[in-house]
Amino acid sequence: MTTLHQGAAARPGVDRSLAIFGWLVFAFLYLPILVVVVFSFSSSESVGKWGGFSLRWYEQMLKNEQILNALENSVVVALISTAVATVIGTAAALSLDRYRRWVGRGAFDGLLYLPIIIPDVTMAVMLLLWFTSTGVIPLGRGSITLAHIAFNISFVAIVVRARLAHMDPAMEDAAADLYANRWQAFRRVTLPLIMPGVLGGALLALTLSLDDVVITSFVQGPGSTTLPVYVFGLIRRTVTPVINAVSTLMIVVSMVLVLASLTIQNRTGRRTESKGTDQ
Amino acid sequence: MTDKTPAVSLHGVTKRFGEEVVAVDNVDLQIQDGEFFSLLGPSGCGKTTTLRMIAGLEFPTEGSIRIFDEEMGLRPPNKRPVNTVFQSYALFPHMNVSENVGFGLKMQKVDGSEVRRRVGEAIDLVRLTGMERRSSKELSGGEQQRVALARALVNRPKVLLLDEPLGALDLKLRQTMQLELKDIQHEVGITFVYVTHDQGEALTMSDRIGVMNQGRLAQVGSAEDVYESPENLFVAGFVGEMCLLPAVVTEPGSVRLQSGEVIWARTSSPKGAEVTLTIRPEKLHIYSAASEAPPHRNALKGSIVRQTFYGEAMVYEVQIGLADLIEVRVENSPRIRRWSMGDEVVIDFHPEAAMALGE
Amino acid sequence: MTLLDERKTAEDEEVNPRLERRARRQESWRGFFHAAPAYVYLTFFFVLPLLIIFVFSFASRSNTGKPLLENWNLDSWTRLADPLVRTIAVRSLTMAIANTVLCLLIAYPFAYWIATRARQRTRTLLLIAVLIPFWSNFLVRTYAWRMLLDSDGYITQLGQLTGLWERMLFTQPAVFIGLVYGYLPFMILPLYAALERMDWSLIEAGRDLYASGSKAFRRITLPLSKPGIIAGSILVFIPSLGAYVTPDILGGAKTNLLGNLIVTQFQAARNWPFGSALSGVILIVMLVATMLYFRTGGRTI
Repeated sequence: MTTLHQGAAARPGVDRSLAIFGWLVFAFLYLPILVVVVFSFSSSESVGKWGGFSLRWYEQMLKNEQILNALENSVVVALISTAVATVIGTAAALSLDRYRRWVGRGAFDGLLYLPIIIPDVTMAVMLLLWFTSTGVIPLGRGSITLAHIAFNISFVAIVVRARLAHMDPAMEDAAADLYANRWQAFRRVTLPLIMPGVLGGALLALTLSLDDVVITSFVQGPGSTTLPVYVFGLIRRTVTPVINAVSTLMIVVSMVLVLASLTIQNRTGRRTESKGTDQ
Repeated sequence: MTDKTPAVSLHGVTKRFGEEVVAVDNVDLQIQDGEFFSLLGPSGCGKTTTLRMIAGLEFPTEGSIRIFDEEMGLRPPNKRPVNTVFQSYALFPHMNVSENVGFGLKMQKVDGSEVRRRVGEAIDLVRLTGMERRSSKELSGGEQQRVALARALVNRPKVLLLDEPLGALDLKLRQTMQLELKDIQHEVGITFVYVTHDQGEALTMSDRIGVMNQGRLAQVGSAEDVYESPENLFVAGFVGEMCLLPAVVTEPGSVRLQSGEVIWARTSSPKGAEVTLTIRPEKLHIYSAASEAPPHRNALKGSIVRQTFYGEAMVYEVQIGLADLIEVRVENSPRIRRWSMGDEVVIDFHPEAAMALGE
Repeated sequence: MTLLDERKTAEDEEVNPRLERRARRQESWRGFFHAAPAYVYLTFFFVLPLLIIFVFSFASRSNTGKPLLENWNLDSWTRLADPLVRTIAVRSLTMAIANTVLCLLIAYPFAYWIATRARQRTRTLLLIAVLIPFWSNFLVRTYAWRMLLDSDGYITQLGQLTGLWERMLFTQPAVFIGLVYGYLPFMILPLYAALERMDWSLIEAGRDLYASGSKAFRRITLPLSKPGIIAGSILVFIPSLGAYVTPDILGGAKTNLLGNLIVTQFQAARNWPFGSALSGVILIVMLVATMLYFRTGGRTI
């Protein structure tokens, strides 16, 4: 990638209006989030009124049994579903990128994309029908985790696959040539090189799992409500400033996750970009 | 050839990609133990595929590959007694120099102190002493190339495979590395199979060369054989500079050019056959008149139509009659006479220097 | 297992030189083996559940609202022709299309602006700034608008002052704003990916060959960014066709969309077969759109 894109930005007038438009879009993207964060520190009982700085809503949040319980459910489900989906999704990415010809590859390739684009409501409905009609797995933390794994596999697979596509296939040839068997070649060469992709996929899975509302609300059982589902219930009934505090917490968590992901991609990305391959 | 076991032998090896593409077409080849053997050819001629099949990175569609008389079959690369220097070097970017070099030994479960000793030796051999801890991406192209070489040699393979290892280096470095590679091969005494598209490189380094074209071996022979006695037009045109002139055999040992002149030439084609006359530009001499030229040789009258300065040499294009153009290369030495455009000259060459090849 | 295989291969090689086919079969098995966990998992927790929707759409309802798998019938599917359902479906479709178009109109110049920043560092920083809302909780982002549009909020006051709108919350425009806000990042990212990958020297070549700025854009940039446009449109269109959270929070009871209608069937109305038939419709639209996408050769989701 060259650093100069002169061809695209030839006319200063066009460029200036693009820039103004660009910053307006950023304002549109950020202002609502900022409002929530700011008002989470307001002491006023009314959600949209500023009543002076206070941490009372955070205090209330931390004292609320239900919120803490929901938070625990969220974390447990997110960690387990991420771990499982990362392993399965990485294997799936390997099968698509490294093995060009196998029976069912085309169908598998298409199938992997479906959980990404399917509307939440549809996936929620079908999993509810599945769990209740088969009756093998009771609705609860277990069913929520299984549902989260189902959509996370695809996201992990796509992120890892993108990373694999950038990897020089000669690396694996070299490992095999140097007496590594398939497992050793994967463990010592492939895995370290795609690690940024694997971690990035895992962080995305973690975020999606922590964020999911619709699917979880369908397949949850008594006492297994997750934090977003609990908040959703609160919003539907009445809007209280505690929601601002919980929302701020969730925004902070996603920001930490996205920044962590980018740092990993960037740092290890720079380290693994082989200089030898550019001729 | 039969008294020693060949290091590598290919028997009827064919590789197809899909239904249409034949990358390697029924190749038979024996590479002797201790030999520096080059596979030379234009890109897409199947030389790299052949090398990858020896390494075990691809499997032949048909045929058999033996290494020291052992059938390789579907044996994976990690179980073959060969190592490869890859075109892109393929150094592991997450390891430093000595980790890269020691990788193969570690995979073979060689004892730790032994690994250290042999890695040290290999790094000394390629003159990278002191750079053990460098990350592989901090190295220059030439250094990376040396690491790749050490990484392969440290395993003491029976055969070393090199896939255009100097392709990414600049000219000066390439020439130095050519000599060094040759020295290293001498020192370790193992068989090198070297893939290159650079005919100069193949000529300077190899004991024998296999010239490949469109998946087939066009000629196998010593550097001198391939250069002096090309067996077909492809080899004649691909290896070195060559003037090609259409001609007809008039009687054994002589041919007639398009311009009507009859000259002596080596030929095995029958009388009346249409052939191509091949002459190396450096084997021609220019004189101002026929009387100056030595007797009993070929002499052709013509005029100079173009001259190109190459530094160490001058190349003149001489028009013979109406149809034929011949290039003459004259070394740029102080006593040599310079010609200019339009000069009427006589070009002279030994009958042995001209060779007529049939289709 | 492979060791034995190899020894056998080496022996009968002379007789049967067709090694490659065996090598390819081994590769094929390895590929399948890697995919197997995901394949099995998605079969059990995606494909079969997806099919069961269609099974239940033909089921009947007991008096208590429990779906019964006897008495197969087409009731749920015929109910789709109900004028009320049709109105909701048309409204959802219009909303999804309008949302996709508006997202595209906003996201394209925006992504183009970021992708044409000269310095790599600037581009990276701007991209991070896009990623943060993209990764932020969808529910929280929708809730933010619930706050902004509240009856005593500034936006409502502005509307009352100018006389343009009396109230915003729980209206169709509010849902629309929420949808655009929610799905905009899904359009920006694939567009950015397509534009950033582009070889800008092509534009220079186009300009060099006397194409005007707008002509170069239409003839070169636009066609080359088509994969991004298609990917982004699918990522926005299909989820917004089934949107539920946004209309639920911002639309109140008034704006009923397909997503809400489906959820109602599974909760208050307890008509699972009809809810299944509605989901089936969305699934069919999704499968057709995905196939069209793969037909055009796209891969960049």
